[in-house]
Amino acid sequence: MGFVLDGLETESYDRAYSDRQLVERILRYFKPHSRKMGVVAIALALNSIAGTAGPILISRAIDLVAQKAEVTVILFLSLAVIALGAAAWLFNYIRQWYTARVVGDVVLELRSEVFDHAIAHDMSFFDEHPSGKIVSRVTSDTQDFSNTVTLVVDVLSQLLVMVALTAWLCTISLWLTAILLSMAPVAAGIALAFRALARRVTRQARRATAVINAQIQESISGIMVAKAFRREHSLFNTFTANNKLAYRVGQRRDIVLNLIFPVMGLAAGIGTGLVSYAGGVTVQGNGMSTGDWFLFMQAVGFFWFPLLNIASFWSQFQDGLSASERVFALIDADPGVHQTGESVRILVRGEVRFDHVRFAYSEKEMVLPDFSLHIRPGETVALVGHTGAGKSSIARLVTRFYEFQEGKLRIDGVDIRTLDLASYRRQVGLVPQDPFLFSGTVRENIRYGKPDATDDEVRYAATHVGKGDWLADLPAGLDTHTGERGSSISLGQRQLVALARVLLKDPAIFILDEATASVDPFTEAQIQEGLASVLEGRSAIVIAHRLSTIRKADRILVLEKGHIIEEGTHAALLKTSGHYSTLYNTYFRHQSLEYIENFSHRFPEEPTQRQPAGS
Amino acid sequence: MSSPVTSRARRREFVAPSEYHYNRRSPLRWIISHMMRYPLFPAAVVVTSIINNYAYGNIQLFIGKGFDVISSAGWELSALLAVSLVIVVSALTQGVTGLLRNFAVVFLAQRIERDSREELYGNLLGKSQTFLGRQRVGDIMARATNDVRMINMMFSPGLMLIIDSGLALVVPLVMIVFIDPWLSLVPLIFTALLVLTVWDYNRKLKPVSIRQREQFGAMNAALQEATSGIEVVKSNVRERYEWDKFTQNARAYRDSFVTQGEIQARYWPMMAFAVCWGAALLHGLILWKSGAVTLGQVVGFMGLFSTFRFVTFISIFSFNLVQLGVASAGRILSLVNVETEVDENAAGHAAQIRGRVEFQDVSFGYDAAPVLEKVNFVVEPGETVAIVGQTGSGKTTLTRLVNRIFDATSGSVRVDGVDVKDWSIASLRSQISTIDQDVFLFSLTVRDNIAFGRDGVTRESVLHAAASAQADSFIRGFKDGYDTEIGERGVMLSGGQKQRIAIARAFLTDPRILILDDSTSAIDSKTEDEIQRAMKRISSSRTTFIITHRLSQIRWADRIVVMRRGRLLDQGSHEELLQRCEEYRRIFAQI
Repeated sequence: MGFVLDGLETESYDRAYSDRQLVERILRYFKPHSRKMGVVAIALALNSIAGTAGPILISRAIDLVAQKAEVTVILFLSLAVIALGAAAWLFNYIRQWYTARVVGDVVLELRSEVFDHAIAHDMSFFDEHPSGKIVSRVTSDTQDFSNTVTLVVDVLSQLLVMVALTAWLCTISLWLTAILLSMAPVAAGIALAFRALARRVTRQARRATAVINAQIQESISGIMVAKAFRREHSLFNTFTANNKLAYRVGQRRDIVLNLIFPVMGLAAGIGTGLVSYAGGVTVQGNGMSTGDWFLFMQAVGFFWFPLLNIASFWSQFQDGLSASERVFALIDADPGVHQTGESVRILVRGEVRFDHVRFAYSEKEMVLPDFSLHIRPGETVALVGHTGAGKSSIARLVTRFYEFQEGKLRIDGVDIRTLDLASYRRQVGLVPQDPFLFSGTVRENIRYGKPDATDDEVRYAATHVGKGDWLADLPAGLDTHTGERGSSISLGQRQLVALARVLLKDPAIFILDEATASVDPFTEAQIQEGLASVLEGRSAIVIAHRLSTIRKADRILVLEKGHIIEEGTHAALLKTSGHYSTLYNTYFRHQSLEYIENFSHRFPEEPTQRQPAGS
Repeated sequence: MSSPVTSRARRREFVAPSEYHYNRRSPLRWIISHMMRYPLFPAAVVVTSIINNYAYGNIQLFIGKGFDVISSAGWELSALLAVSLVIVVSALTQGVTGLLRNFAVVFLAQRIERDSREELYGNLLGKSQTFLGRQRVGDIMARATNDVRMINMMFSPGLMLIIDSGLALVVPLVMIVFIDPWLSLVPLIFTALLVLTVWDYNRKLKPVSIRQREQFGAMNAALQEATSGIEVVKSNVRERYEWDKFTQNARAYRDSFVTQGEIQARYWPMMAFAVCWGAALLHGLILWKSGAVTLGQVVGFMGLFSTFRFVTFISIFSFNLVQLGVASAGRILSLVNVETEVDENAAGHAAQIRGRVEFQDVSFGYDAAPVLEKVNFVVEPGETVAIVGQTGSGKTTLTRLVNRIFDATSGSVRVDGVDVKDWSIASLRSQISTIDQDVFLFSLTVRDNIAFGRDGVTRESVLHAAASAQADSFIRGFKDGYDTEIGERGVMLSGGQKQRIAIARAFLTDPRILILDDSTSAIDSKTEDEIQRAMKRISSSRTTFIITHRLSQIRWADRIVVMRRGRLLDQGSHEELLQRCEEYRRIFAQI
């Protein structure tokens, strides 16, 4: 059923490359394997010849034995049939063996190249393309490509047999061959019509099923609540209604999908009847022998079912080209970040200077129209402001993840564009909002930034995040498995691991995007202590969401639409009752202990009916 | 109920109307009992399949007859016409029976899917809250969607293909015997060879296929990880390392891809067919020479033999589907067959709860791993208790011991001086409410969600409850107000909004003990105030357990219970803990 549903998942895609360009580029990957491909071609041809010769031999055999019924002749002919069958099997074996090798190698080469280019792209690329899509291009699209190549070879072999057989049949009876060939458009028509119908029905069914499944999911998630409120019956009724709907939709879809083979078989059978009569007429007119008549009867089978595959070939081929195009698009994407290539290496002290920097994320999104800032070595700067004020852009310009359009950004007085990126990035530490951990142990994750660190160095870094007692709270200390994306440990613990990673790396510049999600109070305390350890002795840019973090900063910058509108310490800024005060009252006030202490004063209308607290 | 009542049914809390009784003793019996609910259809499948294969074989036979007609001297076109017409009629029969067979299979498969899903759901509704409280929604969902679907696919295409290919072997064979019993020699030999070579092929292919799938999965997962964590990769300059890791995976995949290709290339069944094909021709012609059969019958025999060519390809993956189906049935049954252990204790203590809760030396654990160890504390009626601790410290489990979702493995939990095990479950649970961290709301209107727990709730009481829960203002902000539908078809609510609607719901049900899992914190102060206010109101005049991260909830609770790694670290009022407990002091030190 594959041929029907292929390409159902393909989204409409703007083709940037022409078919010709794609095919040429694809063939380039096959060039190193041209000898193997040559063997495949020969095996293919020989297989087709043997495959065609088989039925022909049998029809000839029948004619022959009708005249000379000697045992030796019979034996000889039968052995020849076996030999041809064995030869066909052998050639097919060779063809598939080599094809598997060539396709395997080409796909490996392609994947390796795609990954190499993909990972070298800068961050704006990864922002634009969700990781799921990138992964599917590297693995699934290359897989589709591989399937398409195998398909092309298979179809070619079937086509060759058909062509060879048709050629031979033409020499016997032209008009009968014409009748046989006239069935081809009918078969193709049935196949294509069915394919269109099946795709429509499947698409509809998929949409309907998604909705129904969501409702069924709700019915199941709600069981606990329904039971708590004794509402089982109404929930059951809702469920059964949805279940019946799903049944009807699924049934309609499956019936349509199961139409094709009986219908094709029916058509092929009618075709057989037709040819049997027309062939008989030819035999009676001495146009051909009875053996030839039998050959035509065999040929009907050779025509119908391969036509199923060949009819859908073109669209599957197109899908394969689309897949390869997506892969090439990934390879060819233009880099955003341009270094000058001077690759200057410096030992970073931590001075950062933005000089009238202009940064627009895309043509429509201006983030920093004209930004200037000087950070001294060892200074902690906290950025606050509403979403979209430019906070994370500033931080990520320092890591050189994005390219800015105008102005200058200097590290220790050196233009960032001239720096050797690898050397520079090793001296910058980044902790994002939801720290990413690789699946492995906590130890391996801490070591990620400094692969040659010893176990002692790792332990030192871990124990110097705050009081280091967070290790005791992990199930297996440093050897705790973090799970996929770190999901086996809590968010708060992931942050602690990320902080330890930075400590081990010991960068001159530290960039933190604080998490907004809630963490239990104990882990929060550990994180704040850990943060204090990390902030010591290096320059830091912190996108702050915690009041305690803001209080630790040397300087707070209030940002709005890419401009610094206020600057100072926490106490000084609060006194001015400006923009910072408003921000404070909106986002930070409820975190302050003073505010918490006034809790009961804020709800004066509630009579305190509590019983006296027991001990 | 129209079905026999078993002793199990008495312990269920819900029974679906007009329930059919299935055999649940084993997965296989269960599937068969589902199938036999519609006994006509399996029978129809077999019958139509037999006719279908017979019709196809008939076409081959009549090709042979046609050959005899045109080989005989002085033959008439009318005789050939008759043969051709029979072929056409056979083709029609083949087509029609094929369609009928497919429809029968589809009907059966879809019905079984629907029935088993309904059975599973009705059964789940009847299970105790204890049992359900311990399940993961994701697991249940998987059984209700994937596993049920697998059973469908077991029938269509699984069993259908198996039956069809089996009959495609048997029916032509029988027809060959009817031509001449001796002719069945080579086909029988071929059948034996076919079974042997296909079994051998499958045996070699299966581990390689599995390995290939695993490697594809590994390659994918590693790639997904590198791409999701690209920020970390780039900032630590580990691009080359990740590329090496990926290429290694890709290479391993290539190797098993090539191995699989090699196995597929060496497809012995096809060779067996080629040899037997020639042998069949030989045997047929020899029998013809001895006068036992006509040349046309040899032609028909060869035609019937050629049908065996197609049998080989189908069988392999269809057996796999059957295996998967049975495995899925097993998983569903394991859920369905669970008996609830906790007795309803209908004769137990029933009274209005005042709200005093005591934990005496309570320990709890799954298998060997302890979750709670020797927990001791007392809560007076009406007190608000804040439970604080790290993830996994046992906070949620602690609260689940109060309404007996779990039972302590040692020690006792008492409500109003009576051990919870001595309370009637119905009385106990009807007076205890839980508001989960992930609040579940139905896709109904706001009003219907708030009024969910009570019958005959007036509009005023809904509004009053919503106002107390600080939800009234944001509800009025919606276009349709209280008639707004919640969910994907309506409005998506934020976590804080869902929480307040759940609190409004709890106002209406007015429990004596409330368990609030509030492991979130607001980003903005205004919402924080609203939530604080709502929580303060709902927790007054009833005993409330709050699992919380909010410092203000901790600070102003009547009692604070500090959990660490399953043990009660300390408990008391805020002032007492500040003095006594160093751990506790750390929490408030940072602000």
